[in-house]
Amino acid sequence: MASEDKVFSLSGIPIKDLYTPDDVKTIDYDRDLGLPGHPPYTRGVYATMYRGQLWTIRRLSGFNTPEETNKLYREEYELGQTGLSVAPDISTVVGMDADDPRVSADIGHAGVPMSSIEDVEATFNGIPIENVSTYLADRCGAVTTAMYFVMAERRGLDLKGLRGTTANDMLSFSVPSLVNQTPPQAYLRYAVDFIEWCCEHAPRWNPVSFDSYNSRDCGLDAVQELGMLLATAIQYMEEAKRRGRVPLDKFVRRVSFDTGLHNDFFEEIAKLRAARRMWYKIVRDRYGITDPKCALFRVHCQSSGSTHTTQEPLNNLIRIAYQVMAGALGGAQSIHANGYDEGICLPTEQSMLLSIRTEQIAALEANIGNTIDPLGGSYYVESLTNELEERSWQYVKKIEDMGGMAEAMSSGWLYKEYRDAMIEHERKVATGELPIVGVNRFRLEKEPYEVPIFRWDPEAPYKQIEKLKAFKQKRDKDKLTASLENLEAVTRRGENVYPAVMDAIRCNATLGEISDVQLKVYGLWRRPLAI
Amino acid sequence: MVKDRVKILMAKPGLEGHWRGMTIVSSALRDAGYEVIYGGNMLPPEIGQTAAQEDVDMVGLSILSSNYMRLVSETLEELRKNNKDDVTVLLGGIIWESDFAALKHMGIAGIFTPGTPLQDIVAFVNTKTAAQPSR
Repeated sequence: MASEDKVFSLSGIPIKDLYTPDDVKTIDYDRDLGLPGHPPYTRGVYATMYRGQLWTIRRLSGFNTPEETNKLYREEYELGQTGLSVAPDISTVVGMDADDPRVSADIGHAGVPMSSIEDVEATFNGIPIENVSTYLADRCGAVTTAMYFVMAERRGLDLKGLRGTTANDMLSFSVPSLVNQTPPQAYLRYAVDFIEWCCEHAPRWNPVSFDSYNSRDCGLDAVQELGMLLATAIQYMEEAKRRGRVPLDKFVRRVSFDTGLHNDFFEEIAKLRAARRMWYKIVRDRYGITDPKCALFRVHCQSSGSTHTTQEPLNNLIRIAYQVMAGALGGAQSIHANGYDEGICLPTEQSMLLSIRTEQIAALEANIGNTIDPLGGSYYVESLTNELEERSWQYVKKIEDMGGMAEAMSSGWLYKEYRDAMIEHERKVATGELPIVGVNRFRLEKEPYEVPIFRWDPEAPYKQIEKLKAFKQKRDKDKLTASLENLEAVTRRGENVYPAVMDAIRCNATLGEISDVQLKVYGLWRRPLAI
Repeated sequence: MVKDRVKILMAKPGLEGHWRGMTIVSSALRDAGYEVIYGGNMLPPEIGQTAAQEDVDMVGLSILSSNYMRLVSETLEELRKNNKDDVTVLLGGIIWESDFAALKHMGIAGIFTPGTPLQDIVAFVNTKTAAQPSR
């Protein structure tokens, strides 16, 4: 390639053909990089990083029914996995019960259905939750988490010792939740209610994991991803500060993050390094929080599903391996490697095993974790880290100037960003500007091989519906009604709703019944259309 | 009433939230001059009713959740109930090749899987609508 050809990163950052000391001469080591485990944490949030502890290998999983998902979790637990990661199915994500006629075709697809505490108990049957750390991809307001907590109470466990994380994030749920949603301002209220409650009652639980994964998969670039992620975190902090019910540092100490890992290898590494430095600056400079634990950008990363192709699906294994490597070189605390077949079906057992092996090979054979931040000091990576930081600050400012993330969602701006990104991506694929091997480059006339396909159980939805109907029958109706009326009253009064949510779950309220109260108070939100 | 433009209803049956494909296909069809009604997530009865009320010529369904056999069959049934069984129905998303024949037999006119160039979809729609009297 001739050196005068213009080359850009996936985020449109112009890339030179060579980086030299000139490109990093403004860097002051102590101010801008520092040692790992020390401000501004560019080189890593812990002093020993993977020498002390390898990143956690986590798989987000769940399918068909709570019973089948339980079987899978028990196998994972026996394999030594101590982090369980629960993907609720789409009916659970949108807050509808399995017996709602609107959801019947979707039950058990892309996750485990959890309408009631009975479903949560079946999902975790026989699993000692006091010994594991559970991640729940639960929407704002954390109703499924309330079921998990009440299950713990019924097992005689102290919530103060329970470890885990709830997504409780507004940004990631801007993507899949197309129906049955309250307005974003209500999301924000429920989310912060949960955070406040956890600070007091479940202090070891991470009450929010800010998550840009879904947004990135809408076609956003790394700058937009980082900007939206941090703007969302800032909005939560502003809300918590405005309310003043819990000390901000108590909340911020338990904040964690989720991001995607996309194709541009060095840019993804730089993204994670820039994110750490930016979070430190937000916590220290903007909020004046001095507790060093609060300034740690602890992050779980997942290989980006949108980079997978249906064509020649085994090629995705290679893409995933590079993305995992970027996450590890970027200093992630936890990594999920997708199944290579996720562009075709839910992952098969074979592909789930390969996901774990991909991470283990990176760690144990490629020796990626042997030294901390091995790319620190690279002229290119440091320069890219600076560039990403600068551009992402501008994007954060843009969102703040329009009133923050909730307003960006309500006004439709966010959805226009998604749309523009999707269309621009498609244009680049069509013109060949963005090469995708096996799709717009080197495409074969005929698919060269077939891979096994995961077949879901078509009977699963019917089993769920019957089970839920039976559960609803045996409840104490008076207590249930009173608990839901109390929830509505508390919601209208503007108090923290979470104690009332917990009470309703103790009275065996379902997810759909609690969502209905939320919708009754706040009304249905029609997501702004951007085509 | 004489319509001067071909009308296409784009819908995602059920609740599943992978709307990226439907968004770009809708915009490509709109840019090609079609009147696109973007229905978003709709239940099969809503698709049938909307197709009738809007008197559409074509329905585009997008499904990425692997339960397309059931959703397609329910949607086609609703179109029949609303006397819209004459519309052309297209299906996009993650569709397994082993089901293509069965879907076509059910009445799906065209199937488009990930990686299909947008111009191919537009060209297919052009061919299908060229023959329609309302154009």
